[in-house]
This record gives sequence, C-alpha cells and structure tokens, in this order.
Amino acid sequence: MNFMKRGILGITRKKGKSLILLAVIFILGNLISGAISIQQATGNVEKTIKERLGTAATVDLDHDTLNNMPEDEWMDFEPEELGVNLIKQIGDLPYVKYYDYSMEQWMGSESIEPYQGEEMDEDFMMDEEDEIPFQLKGINYAPIIDLEEGKATLTDGRVFTDEEIENGTAVAVISENLAAENNLEVGDTFTLVNNVYSYDYDTDEEDIVASRDVVLEVIGLFDPKSVTQESDEDSESNMMFMMEDPYYQNTMYVPNEIVIDETNYNWEETLKADDELAAMMKEEGEDASFEYYEPIYYLNNPEDIEPFREEVLPLLPELYTVISATDQYERISGPMESMSKLAKYVLIVAVAATILITGLVVLLFLRDRKRELGIYLSLGEKRSKVIGQILIEVMVVAVVGITLSLFSGNLLAGQVSDTIMNSDDSNQSEYYEGVYYPELESELTTEDVMDSYEVNLDASYVLGFYGIGLLTILISTVIPLIYIVRLNPKKILM
Amino acid sequence: MELMRIENLSKVYGKGDTAVKALDNVSFSVKQGEFVAIIGPSGSGKSTLLHLLGGVDKPTDGKVFIEKTDIYGLNETQLAIFRRRQIGLIYQFYNLLPILTVEENITLPMLLDAHKVDQKHFKEIVEILGLQKRLDYLPNQLSGGQQQRVSIGRALISNPSIILADEPTGNLDSKNSKEIIDLLKLFNKTYNQTLVVITHDDRIALQADRVISIEDGTIAKDEVIRP
Repeated sequence: MNFMKRGILGITRKKGKSLILLAVIFILGNLISGAISIQQATGNVEKTIKERLGTAATVDLDHDTLNNMPEDEWMDFEPEELGVNLIKQIGDLPYVKYYDYSMEQWMGSESIEPYQGEEMDEDFMMDEEDEIPFQLKGINYAPIIDLEEGKATLTDGRVFTDEEIENGTAVAVISENLAAENNLEVGDTFTLVNNVYSYDYDTDEEDIVASRDVVLEVIGLFDPKSVTQESDEDSESNMMFMMEDPYYQNTMYVPNEIVIDETNYNWEETLKADDELAAMMKEEGEDASFEYYEPIYYLNNPEDIEPFREEVLPLLPELYTVISATDQYERISGPMESMSKLAKYVLIVAVAATILITGLVVLLFLRDRKRELGIYLSLGEKRSKVIGQILIEVMVVAVVGITLSLFSGNLLAGQVSDTIMNSDDSNQSEYYEGVYYPELESELTTEDVMDSYEVNLDASYVLGFYGIGLLTILISTVIPLIYIVRLNPKKILM
Repeated sequence: MELMRIENLSKVYGKGDTAVKALDNVSFSVKQGEFVAIIGPSGSGKSTLLHLLGGVDKPTDGKVFIEKTDIYGLNETQLAIFRRRQIGLIYQFYNLLPILTVEENITLPMLLDAHKVDQKHFKEIVEILGLQKRLDYLPNQLSGGQQQRVSIGRALISNPSIILADEPTGNLDSKNSKEIIDLLKLFNKTYNQTLVVITHDDRIALQADRVISIEDGTIAKDEVIRP
C-alpha cells in the first residue's frame, strides 16, 4: 500500500477530521478568494479604463509643484524652454508610436466667415464680435495626428507632405463645414489677417498697429463628426459636443513654420509699437523671436506610459514633468483604489490567518496521530513517505475546500464590492482643479470606472487563487510536519 | 541452532552527572524456536533491552547479531527493511493504524515492502487468531484482546525469524491474557519462531522455555525451565 493510497484512506476513514479541516479551509479560502477576486477586478478596471483613456502624453511644467512653491521662489523662476531637439529625442524613444509638436496662433479674416454651427446650445455659440475666430494649429507630423487618432477624418483632398512641413508652405487642412460655409474647395485659397494690437490702458481700447495678410491654399478637408463609433449614450453626447464644437470647426492645420513666422511678425510689430516694452525687453536681453512648442506623444500601448515616464523624466529641464492621459485615472478611480487597498490588506491578513489556523489544526491532528506516524516509522517506512501521506491528506481536502470557496468567495466579493462602492460614492468630487490638457482629456467619469468594475471568474483569477491558496496550505502543513521528521519511533511506541 | 547473539550490550541515557546506565554489559544468546521470558522490576532495563534487540534504539556499546547479521552494522534503511522482514514486534498498546482495516493492518509490513501477500499464510494466521469475521473492521471497532490479536497477526505476516513482545498482555484482562499467550505459544511451536516476551507476570514467565531476570541493567539470573 503506497503512501498515496494511505493518504486517501486517511481522508475517507476519518470523515470527522476531514470535514473539520475542510470547513476551516473553506472559510479561510473564502477570504482569500474574495480578496483575490476584488484585486483582479480592480486590476482589470485599471487596464480597461487606461485603454479607454488612450496613450497620449505630453511634457509640460509641473504646475502642481509650481503652485506649491513659495511666492518669492516662484517669482524668480524662469522656466527653461523645451527645445525642438529634446522633443525629437523623446519622440525617438521606442515607446512612441508617433508624435508631434505644435505652436498655435489665432487670426481673423475679412474674406471668410467662421462656422457658427446649427441649432447650437448657447454655451457653444461663438462670440459674434470675435475678431480672431480662427485657430491656426501648427504641426510637424505631416499625416496629422488628430486624423491618425480618429479625432477627425479626411473627407477630401490630402494631408501635408514632408516638404511642405519643412518649407512652411502656405497650405492648410480645414474643416468641411468651414469650407462649405465659405464655398471653399480643395485647391482654393483664402486669406487670413494677422493683426497686431496695442492696448491703450487709458481708454481701455485696442488699436490695430500693424497687419498683414496670410494667404493659404486648402489642400484637404476634415470632418470631426466621426469622432467616435461607440454607441452608448455617454459617447453619443460626447460626439455631439465634438461635432458642434465651433472652435474645432474653425481650426486650421498648417505647418509649424507658418505659425512661427506669424508669431514672430506679431511680436516684432508689438515691440515696434510699444517703446516701453521694447526697452524693457532690450534691457533684459530677451530674444525678440521665440518658439514655444507643445509636444504630444502617442505611445504604442497604455502599459508603455510608466517606462516612458521613467525614461523621459531625467531628460527634462527643471520642474518639467510628463503628463499622460492615464493620469486622469488617478482622479476618477477613488473608490476602486480604496477597494483595491482593502482587498490587499484582507489578502495579507487572510493568508497569514490561513497559515496560522491551518497550521494549528494540522499540528493538533498530527499530535493526535503521533503514535500512528511512529508505527509507520517503526515498520521501516521512510520519513519522506510519511510526510507525503500527510501532505496528500491535507492537500486533497484543501483542493476540495479551495474549489468550493473559489465560487463562493467570488460571489461574496461581488456583494461586498457593491456595498463598498455604493458607500464610497458620496466621497467623490466631480470637479478637478488643475491644468486642463484638451489632447489628453476624455469624458470618462468615476461612474464609468465603477461601471467597468466586474467581479468574474477568469483564468488568471482561478490560477491565482489556486496558486496562493494551495501554497498557503502547503506552508501551513509543512511547518508542523517538521515535527514528524524529528520523531523517534521508539519514544512514541514505548 | 543459535539465532540471536548479544555481545556486551550497554545503553547509557544522558551525559556526565545525569548519565543513567539502563543496560550494563549484557551478553547472552537465543536458540532458534526458543521461548524466552525476560522479567524484572520496573526500570530494570528490560524494555530497553527489547528495543535494542529489535533494532528500534541504538546501543551505546556492544553488538546484536540476528542470523549472523550485525544489525547495528546496517545503515538506517537497511535496518528498517531487516526489521520489517526478520523481526515481529508486538507492543502493550497494540499500536494499530486507526485508518486501516484489520486485514490492512495485518498485511501492512508486506504492503510497505510492495510484496504480494501470501494468501494461504494470511488465511492460516487469521484463522488461528479467530479474526475471519473481523477483517473489514477498523481497530476502534474491536475489543482490546482482538486488537492485540491483530498486532500479533501483523508481527507474523512476513514470517519473521523472531518475535519480540513488550508486555503483550499488560493491557488485557486475565482471560484475554491467557488467550494471547496461548496464541503466541502456538505460533512458536507451529512455525518454530523464536519468541522473546517481556513481562512482569510470573504466570506467563513460567510458561517460557527460559527465563532471564534483569536487575539494574544486568542479568541477575538466566534460567532454563524447559530444555
């Protein structure tokens, strides 16, 4: 009769003992199973939400740190500029799918009218008096990142060529609606006006001190309508918002060089018109021309954000930081985080309690069976086989107990997490006070996070639970078994 | 024919000032088929002697030969196997395995050796022991006398050359005690097996072929009653 058969007989012929052990493992297994379920579910939420939040990241001054700086230090702080070289160096990292950096400039026009939208909500109505309703968005990435990322689609014409970007050719991709509003087609040209204003503090009025025309050729039309294909209510309202967003409808994509030229012209003319400012700038030795780019990086997948951040941070000038779309997760994941933490503590306590309690139960059984084990040893059975027999007795019961608690613990976790999330609901603030990065923001809310929380039985949970559960029981059996190894059969049997 | 020889066997427990000599330079030999009773007061060293004969404990000094094998010259595994095949041990408290049936308990030494049980021999033993109808019972379903019969069966199943019994009737009433001793004697005669019994019951000792008295760890008297 081998030790395995004896192990099984030990279970079936000592039913009372086996049932006690089963009950102990089942109860403790529920705690471990519940905690693992919750951890897995919160982990899945993080993954799902981060995927929905996207892979966009940018580099900017760390406004949180700046806001916490003492005022005198803050006043003296002159941020170093992010150079194009650094932006490109970051863009060449292996995590980056594609990237762009842009300068922006607002302009007016006498020849074309801004698109005002149809049946618009008052909130989104453009100011009729707005003299510079057109936003020129400079780009360096010729295929246009917004098109690649599906924020808009190209409905006619083409995107830029690398030569156009490099040479700053006067071409633009504008919205379909803006083109229709002004009867523009691909190949047509239109004129914007770069006005230079001076502000008179006495009269509180602005005067135009200089002006020049910017003639651009339409090479492509984009349509922001197909922002999202998702059909649930939230995304629909989101899509409506984007579709009717007059600012986006009146945005024109142009090569960065155009924006730089126009910004420099505007600055130079402003200095000419304002002697006081010019003198001040001269005294401080400021360069008359400046370039300030906002970089945007799209990474290969959401998991790349942390390694990307780690590699980029050491390259950045003082007080710069990496801001990513997934940062938003931290703001909306409150209940999830607290539950994940709770689950972690429960898991640690449950594992420790299981080791302790199962260990004590096994030890009590072994003390009870000291004589029996001594008989095996006195009959010349190897210690390793006696240990094997006890391990089988405990592990078979453990597998049954753990399998039962796999389902009940999972069920329990679902109930418990519903209760925790509902009670935590009221603590969440819907408002975020901080710098807003439109490229990185999504409309996801805490509610979306809670909605995507789902306790279910997946392979990783099942494997994880069996792994942790059986290992815990194994440890709690092996410790008292050391006691057997030290048994001297003579002492037991005398 | 000499089956067992004990040479200058000593056993000391503890060290230094607390050292206790349980057995002091004991020598004797036992013939094949002999029934030897070892008697002596409590603490005289008789149980220690039996355990040393059975290879369960290790002597401080001296040698034990069984069928010319120096049992303490064997390593731990060899000794365990030798003990399982050549020595049948019977204890006062039966020492049966509670999770095994009567049949499994009796055949355990063979099963541990992965040997096939000789069914004829098994049936014979079971019949002599009167356990035919109890083979599927667990030990806790048996009386004390029946449990001791099972332990005798286990000691005999592998047909050992020597049976060592440590107070085999110490836990039984007089009727059961008589039956057990009668059984042991029967096996002793039937299979010509050497039987060494430790007892402090004079009635049992007087049934032996030879009586060895132990006092303070030494042989006080070695008497052959039936040559």
